Amino acid sequence: MSSLARPLDDRDESASRRPLPAPIDERRGTAAMTLFIATEAALFLMLFFTYFYLAPGDWRWLTEEPPKLPLALTMLAVLVTSSVVLHWAEKKERAGEPRRARAGIGATVVLGLVFVAIQIFEYRDHLKTLKPWTDAYGSIFYTLTGIHGLHVVTGLAMLVYVLCLPVLRPADRAPFSPLHNAGLYWHFVDAVWVLIVALVYVLPNLR
Amino acid sequence: MAGLEQRLEGIWGGEPGIRGWFSTVDHKKIGLRYLVTAFLFLLVGGIEALILRTQLARADANLLSPEAYNQIFTMHGMTMIFWYASPILSGFGNYLVPLMIGSRDMAYPRLNAFSYWVFVLSGLFLYSSLAIGQAPHAGWFAYVPYTTSRYSPGLNMDFYALALLFLTISTTAGAINFIATILRMRAPGMAISRMPLVMYSTLTTSLSVVFSLPALSAACVFLELDRRWGTRFFDVHHGGQPILWQHLFWFFGHPWVYIVFLPATGMISMLLPVFSRRPIVGYPYVAVATVLTAVVGFGVWVHHMFAVGMTQLSMSFFSAASMTISLFSAVQVFAWIATLWKGRPVRTASLLFALGFIAALVIGGLNGIVTAVIPVDWQLHATYFIVAHLHYVLVGANVFPVFAALYYWYPKFTGRMLDERLGKASFWVMFVGFNVTFFPMHVTGLLGMPRRIYTYPAGSGWESWNVASSAGAVILSAGILMSVWNFLASRRAGALAGANPWNADTLEWAIPSPPPSYAFEHLPTVRTRHPLWDEWDELDDPSGERILDRGGRRLTLVTSILDARPKAVATMPGDTLTPLWAALALTVLFVALLLRIPWVALAALLLTALASAAWLWPEKEVAKIA
Repeated sequence: MSSLARPLDDRDESASRRPLPAPIDERRGTAAMTLFIATEAALFLMLFFTYFYLAPGDWRWLTEEPPKLPLALTMLAVLVTSSVVLHWAEKKERAGEPRRARAGIGATVVLGLVFVAIQIFEYRDHLKTLKPWTDAYGSIFYTLTGIHGLHVVTGLAMLVYVLCLPVLRPADRAPFSPLHNAGLYWHFVDAVWVLIVALVYVLPNLR
Repeated sequence: MAGLEQRLEGIWGGEPGIRGWFSTVDHKKIGLRYLVTAFLFLLVGGIEALILRTQLARADANLLSPEAYNQIFTMHGMTMIFWYASPILSGFGNYLVPLMIGSRDMAYPRLNAFSYWVFVLSGLFLYSSLAIGQAPHAGWFAYVPYTTSRYSPGLNMDFYALALLFLTISTTAGAINFIATILRMRAPGMAISRMPLVMYSTLTTSLSVVFSLPALSAACVFLELDRRWGTRFFDVHHGGQPILWQHLFWFFGHPWVYIVFLPATGMISMLLPVFSRRPIVGYPYVAVATVLTAVVGFGVWVHHMFAVGMTQLSMSFFSAASMTISLFSAVQVFAWIATLWKGRPVRTASLLFALGFIAALVIGGLNGIVTAVIPVDWQLHATYFIVAHLHYVLVGANVFPVFAALYYWYPKFTGRMLDERLGKASFWVMFVGFNVTFFPMHVTGLLGMPRRIYTYPAGSGWESWNVASSAGAVILSAGILMSVWNFLASRRAGALAGANPWNADTLEWAIPSPPPSYAFEHLPTVRTRHPLWDEWDELDDPSGERILDRGGRRLTLVTSILDARPKAVATMPGDTLTPLWAALALTVLFVALLLRIPWVALAALLLTALASAAWLWPEKEVAKIA
């Protein structure tokens, strides 16, 4: 299927013995992930812009009935913990302990699922009083948190992919540092939730 | 060295046959596909324009119904702006960027193939709307509330929002690819101060894409949610804001103007010095002006909204920022004029197109300054004056540079020269046709003819100007067809080009035309801005250190971002069908979203994820190279 799979071309001795002028590149995937995160960050910037743009001049709907804090803060705790666990897993992987690393990734996936479960539970509570079509606030509230939820699911898919890999750091497949890249994305999704809690949940409660 | 060529060809050449055609990740093949596909979209958009001009050639015409007219002018705008103007530049970029920087492929070859497939499939998705008579019909910027479900039931605007979201995936992936390629894959020694100028424009516009396109995505998501799920983003009665659409759309839309403009100026900055037989005047100024155009371009979007009603202060700010842009364009224009002035210009067809571009850009720039003045803008808003302005800028600053670039690089693409006489004739016909079409629109605009009307009453005083515009459109089309004939016929009949027919200065001219799959036998090193004009032998590599054929793997060099010191060897992926599968799964997803079949959409999403996983999956039989 791929030219990489072709047999070694060792007939020409001069070709295979020639030394490589430099080590194998390990950061190509990370570069792509960084740029992908940049464009995702711009997307959330637009969503936050919309959130504040739709607020009338006197910021009335921030004070009308602010969203309840406890569940959002619980979700924040879950997500921050998951980031710490994932960071630990990355450290273990670098230290050459793939089993512990895999355990850490598994724990992160479980915490991510807990987050999604709480979000569904929170939505059911919210939906009693506020629907996406109630008003513009409802629209942006559910869109912003919902799109974040989709990002959590995407991050989970990446982590599950990493868990399925036969080897976490294939010796000769250096451009892929899958755990590191999925980790970057997960930390980004985590950071966005910090912003959402601060701007959408905490700020209105301060008024 | 025949053995070396064969070995490299064995590593980099793809599989033969149909399967190889679909599975290739070679940037040269993908680049040509981008060029051909985008050019076809140009022709389709051109046919739509001709239909519109036929309708407008006389007063009280009834060739098209108002609805048909709306659909066709919207499709014309969307096709030209989204499926032609940007993708054709991606085509040049795909083909030329790796060769110009001395690399063997883009940073992410599979992502590159994926970008192309998504681009084609999103275009087919959009055009399927025309087939069922429900094409988008609210102009390319689709203002709410015209586009909400209340005023536009039917699938028309759903096609609009979904097709653009679909295309966004391709454009973003392409931009990420360009950024990583230009920053990481340059030949050793090609410090950032020695890059060909088109790298500055490609890099700058790619960064603009990364940061501005999400605004369009957000706007399209909101529109779909409002239309389909009854959310209230644009519903005034429930706290929504129709102006939100305009802000988001133009926050994306104005940077987009530079996205389809700057790479074109970059290409001019490559070929104009070659035909002037001297290096460009003011390289650093042109580079900085390019970057600043895009940076300030993020702060001018409100000039599309002067008629909305905003505070004096914010309008003054955006008016001033809009005028600032003309300074940066002027820096580039004066650099080109000075280059021509100080050089010994060779009057090729390509240079003629470049000169036509400069003339059109100056007119389009000047009438742009006129429209940046708020009181004047209020008079001219939504008249044909704006149509004249945007066509001078977009046709002038995209189509003419694209033709200049085609005449310049066609020998590299095909190994054959184009017919210069036919090319020059084609230019003059196009240039005359272009001005006869669009210059009278300034007048019809000043006379008060609104844009987007499907017909106008007799006796309005607009008839003769419209006849001129319609006649001009026919002349312009004839000019384009002359070049199309030239492109087709020269593939066989053209004189052999050789490696460097123009005696040009950049690295793509150091290798045979058309280039072999591996591009460079020995990866080049660079010491100046004009590799082929200096005394340095870029390909000199006596110990064969930079052949990189070890282990039968596809390899190329990675260098540091600023000074391009060799840092690492990149292992490049092989050919695969997975990007095509991912793109097809995405197509199913968007069709399912359009037809509201949630389970199919979910399944398609899952398939996309699986295809992506297969695409990234490490391959087993990997030769040891380190």
